[in-house]
Amino acid sequence: MVIVRRKELSLLEKLYLPEIARGLSITFRKLFEKKITRQYPEEPLPKDEVTRGQPRLVVKDDGNIACVSCGMCEIACPAYAITIDGGETDRAIEREPVHFEIDMLRCILCGFCEEACPKDAIFMSDELELADYSRGALIYDLAKLKRPKSALQKRIDYVYRLNNRWRKSPSTR
Amino acid sequence: MSTTQTFEYSRAMPPVDHDDPVQGETMMVNMGPQHPATHGVLRLVVRLDGETMEYIDPDVGFLHRGKEKTCESLGWHKFFPHTDRLDYVQPLLNNIAYAMACEKLAGITVPERGQVVRVLLMEVSRIAAHLIYIGTTSIDLGAVSNFFYSFEQRELIYSILDAYTGHRMNNTYVRIGGVYADVDENVERMLEKFLDEFPEKLQVLERLLTGNRIWYGRNRGVGLVSKENAMAWSLTGPNLRGSGVDWDLRKRQPYCGYETYDFDIPVGTVGDCYDRYLVRMEEMRQSCRIAKQALERLKQTRGAEVLAEDRKYVLPPKALVHRSMEELIFQFKVVTDLCLPVGEAYQAVESSKGELGFYVRSDGTSNPLRCHIRAPGLMNVQAIPLLGNGRLLSDLVAIIGSLDFVMGEVDR
Ligand code: SF4
Ligand code: SF4
Repeated sequence: MVIVRRKELSLLEKLYLPEIARGLSITFRKLFEKKITRQYPEEPLPKDEVTRGQPRLVVKDDGNIACVSCGMCEIACPAYAITIDGGETDRAIEREPVHFEIDMLRCILCGFCEEACPKDAIFMSDELELADYSRGALIYDLAKLKRPKSALQKRIDYVYRLNNRWRKSPSTR
Repeated sequence: MSTTQTFEYSRAMPPVDHDDPVQGETMMVNMGPQHPATHGVLRLVVRLDGETMEYIDPDVGFLHRGKEKTCESLGWHKFFPHTDRLDYVQPLLNNIAYAMACEKLAGITVPERGQVVRVLLMEVSRIAAHLIYIGTTSIDLGAVSNFFYSFEQRELIYSILDAYTGHRMNNTYVRIGGVYADVDENVERMLEKFLDEFPEKLQVLERLLTGNRIWYGRNRGVGLVSKENAMAWSLTGPNLRGSGVDWDLRKRQPYCGYETYDFDIPVGTVGDCYDRYLVRMEEMRQSCRIAKQALERLKQTRGAEVLAEDRKYVLPPKALVHRSMEELIFQFKVVTDLCLPVGEAYQAVESSKGELGFYVRSDGTSNPLRCHIRAPGLMNVQAIPLLGNGRLLSDLVAIIGSLDFVMGEVDR
């Protein structure tokens, strides 16, 4: 326990005028310091694989979507932003989404969908800007959500790096 | 020593004597809900006699979003993003408090390194939250440059959190069983640089305020709370310590291994706004000290686990899910049906505002039976009449600032 020291004002501080000069000297010095503000739209924030932007769906190198419409992300989403309508496909995995919608107005960019997906099909991109002229346009469908795997590769690698836990567990051997 | 004032004392509006030539001219004023000094949407009904406040009635609930009920309908894991939005200036601290309540209920032990990361995050969040207090309170009392300087420091903290979690606010990076990701070396370096420079920057803030005659005059002797009153009105955190009560959960009921860190609890003597300010300033310095120690420990335990290995409550790593059927089943199970055992648990942590507690009760299903949030801010708001009655209206701004609450948490 430390008792905080309450000090009385000194004579100089009571006089106030010298204090104004001292205060101004502090603020004046700030003028020459490095600026921390940013002119936002012209100077965007640096983005890297850590940035958790809007979720996007992975399109594999063979042109097929990686999602198998298992519905895990739909369940994991705390904002009820995802709606999936599953359908059949002739591919070996048998299922793929017919409709896959993410309501970007609801999405809180929490990343739970990315974490829950067992098929590496949904990842957080670094796309952050979200503006449009109507609400309807911000409910993203498959066409708007699809991204080639190469565009998300850095994030995929990063998530795998994060997810390297339990290295000593027997099942990882 | 003054005696404890009862609850009725400030709740009941004193009757107006209309025959009294002076008293008959009291005025009711609505301060808020959009008043900038109320840190959110708080409405204060104030009855003024001249410029003296006779009666203050805080009217809370404008920001009520039903968080506790939401927890019951969303389920254990999905409530995490909602805890961010309680006291939104320290999201990670709220995450941790909630996670710890769940862990207590489920009996999960967080690995050593996970605890250290948590301590680090908590202390950094505390600094950020106190910086907001300094900034907003000083701008409310007319010291505008301080607002910018404290927000500059906070900006640095948010950049660090951005590099760690990918978000500046509302991080959602804590999970039941630990934290989602390890702190990598880049973030460690950023943190180290920040913690090294911060005490110096804090001194600039202090030089602008502590001996400032205006700050001094507007805070000193304003909003006095005696030791007894502070305890009787359930004040916690810096507000309680400002009144001279040596009570900090980090020391009294240690969690996350706080007992192994070396730090002091700053305590005030008088219990006015000035004391609370001094306590918070010193607390930031102590937080800096703890964070440095935690950083040291992080360097020693590099490579250790940060998330408990528990297939019932924690998602297995992605690489395993691809390789093994069992892990895939665990993944499905945790996402769709995370159930905590029957029982109840209460876990309180020392947040920047005071004792932040989560009470969770489970009936064994995937949805909590009850989740109660003990928000320190609510107790702080409730003390406004105690501090403000009989003082001038302009003091109210200083009192609100020094009590330091965030309405997101008060109304939840
Ligand atoms: S969790 Fe993955 S695979 Fe399953 S529906 Fe969502 S995106 Fe598709
Ligand atoms: S990021 Fe979160 S809110 Fe957004 S779609 Fe994914 S789970 Fe839902």
